[in-house]
Amino acid sequence: MRAVVRHGGDLVRQVLTWALVLALSFPLFWLISTALRPDTELFVRPPHLLPRTYTVDNFSKLLFETPFLTYFRNSAIVAISTTAFVIVIAVFAAYSLSRFRGRFSAVVERMILITYLLPSVVIFLPIYLMLSRMGLANSLPGLVVAYTTFALPFAIWLLRSFVDSVPVEIELAAMVDGASRLGAFVDVVLPQLLPGIISTALFTAILSWNEYLYALILTNSDAVKTLPPGVMTLLTSSYHIEWGLLMAASVMMSAPVILAFAFLQKHLTRGFGAGAVKG
Amino acid sequence: MASITVSGLGKEYVRGTSAVADLNLEVAEGEFLTLLGPSGCGKSTTLRMLAGLETPTSGEIRFNGRVVNDLTPAERNIAMVFQNYALYPHMSVRENIEYPLKKRGVDRAERRRRSAAVAQLLQIEPLLDRKPRNLSGGQQQRVALGRALIREPEVFLLDEPLSNLDAKLRSYMRAELIELHRRVRATMVYVTHDQLEAMTMSDRIAIFDGGRLQQVGTPDEVYNHPANRTVAAFIGTPAMNFLDGEIAPEGGAPVVRSGSIAIPIEAGRTGASLGRRVAIGLRAEAIRITEGGVPARIEIVEPTGHEAIVTVSVDGRRLVTRTAPDSGFRVGDSVGLGFDARRLHLFDAATGDTLG
Ligand SMILES: Nc1ncnc2c1ncn2[C@@H]1O[C@H](COP(=O)(O)OP(=O)(O)OP(=O)(O)O)[C@@H](O)[C@H]1O
Ligand SMILES: [Mg+2]
Repeated sequence: MRAVVRHGGDLVRQVLTWALVLALSFPLFWLISTALRPDTELFVRPPHLLPRTYTVDNFSKLLFETPFLTYFRNSAIVAISTTAFVIVIAVFAAYSLSRFRGRFSAVVERMILITYLLPSVVIFLPIYLMLSRMGLANSLPGLVVAYTTFALPFAIWLLRSFVDSVPVEIELAAMVDGASRLGAFVDVVLPQLLPGIISTALFTAILSWNEYLYALILTNSDAVKTLPPGVMTLLTSSYHIEWGLLMAASVMMSAPVILAFAFLQKHLTRGFGAGAVKG
Repeated sequence: MASITVSGLGKEYVRGTSAVADLNLEVAEGEFLTLLGPSGCGKSTTLRMLAGLETPTSGEIRFNGRVVNDLTPAERNIAMVFQNYALYPHMSVRENIEYPLKKRGVDRAERRRRSAAVAQLLQIEPLLDRKPRNLSGGQQQRVALGRALIREPEVFLLDEPLSNLDAKLRSYMRAELIELHRRVRATMVYVTHDQLEAMTMSDRIAIFDGGRLQQVGTPDEVYNHPANRTVAAFIGTPAMNFLDGEIAPEGGAPVVRSGSIAIPIEAGRTGASLGRRVAIGLRAEAIRITEGGVPARIEIVEPTGHEAIVTVSVDGRRLVTRTAPDSGFRVGDSVGLGFDARRLHLFDAATGDTLG
């Protein structure tokens, strides 16, 4: 009797889960399906679920007739540089906050958290002024600096809980066993932080990849535009919206994110989990 | 192997409060010295200063006569076993054991040879490819030992290495450690708050309380000739009985008197001057339940199998003694007590120092 009930429950759960999965993935499916059909098929009624004729025209136009590849390259450069900066700074900051407790540690921690709580529109003006004074306005390094400041507080906070969960004794043991302080850090602490580093890197890269507002305001030439404002420009520069082109661009934009998630998902859930349970 | 000389060593984590104060200590080459004391008395702090993991606030540490204060842990050539073993979680048992050699640039073939030898010594050969999290507490403990043993360090430092094990494994590992020390003849400094470990394993025991060294001596010395009341109270199970008393003359010979109890003082005990207020220390085995003697009442009987711990009361004060398990005493029985004058300990009532 019990088994039957349990099976019944399982069935309901299965059905619900699949329904949810289908509902959530439909936009993605529609995106790809639209990107692969010719313009003539876009507005037919009733709409075809799958294209009658497949075409890669949208993609070739996007790649060869628009600055899309430049945007893509810029986005990649900004995302990779930002992630590298954030990881290096956050790992060391988190380590220091966790291991070198001083009189001002608590104050510093609170200040970092407060920085994170400020909405980005509030700090936009000072950041813009600072960047232009440094000569970094309308440049990729300017974006890297801006994104690094956005991502750092959360990155430090996340990594800090990882460092906290590494027992200090294993570092001491490594030092007794012949390692320097830095050597001990590299040999025995860093490997323990790997899931946290992967989570943080994903978080940072996605933040940088998708950021629109600052990219729009801080850049104005095609040579330094990133994908979000760049694709927006493509969209609005012609008289009508080129849906096929937009969909192709969206597919290309989402692909790296989806791939990254697919490959690193295991670490991601583990990372956020570990960050969460450790107080 | 090294001898260790510690002079005037002190550590203040917080200015004004000493975790360890004015420590003077010698550890001979090849000696097994135990640091014993209650929680928070500064044992680990002392050990960490020896290891170079903690900077002393004052004083000097010498290995073989050479001051090592300014040397890093790596330069001191020591091996340490931590209370929680501190194994490297992402490394296999073999990698854990070989790590100290790797850090010292020993080549791979030689590392393999020595880790195999250590694994054999500790009987952990089948575990070499496992990760620490897949080991039992006792196995982890051996791996930690193995990591310490693989080099020939000047000194072994062990911080409560057995405290995470269950009672049976603990007594087994205790025997193993004694055997190990006998075989490698290394200078070992061993921290514990378990007096049984200290008594059974050590050449000498250093007893700490409140950051201060109270006494250093062989297990026999600290048990039979405690330097003060603190040491006497800490060593021995059941704990020593203490009574307030006074030295008084009785029939020409001095006795120490406490209520209805009067115990003769043996000739030659110079500290016991007439009229002096003292603390009387009596171990359980110095008190016998007899016919006659000082009247007392049985309060608690705790059989342990090979003996019985019996708590009696004498005019409202409780004393703990031991008897044969089959002596048949019942709670409420009226009995008499006899005291062994040769096993009488006297301490100054104010300072707690032993009176000769
Ligand atoms: N890092 C530290 N910062 C401040 N105080 C400390 C620190 N480490 C230890 N202490 C204090 O120093 C004193 C001695 O500590 P220590 O760890 O040496 O004690 P212990 O004898 O090893 O005790 P246990 O048996 O509990 O391990 C304690 O009062 C402790 O609170
Ligand atoms: Mg300790």
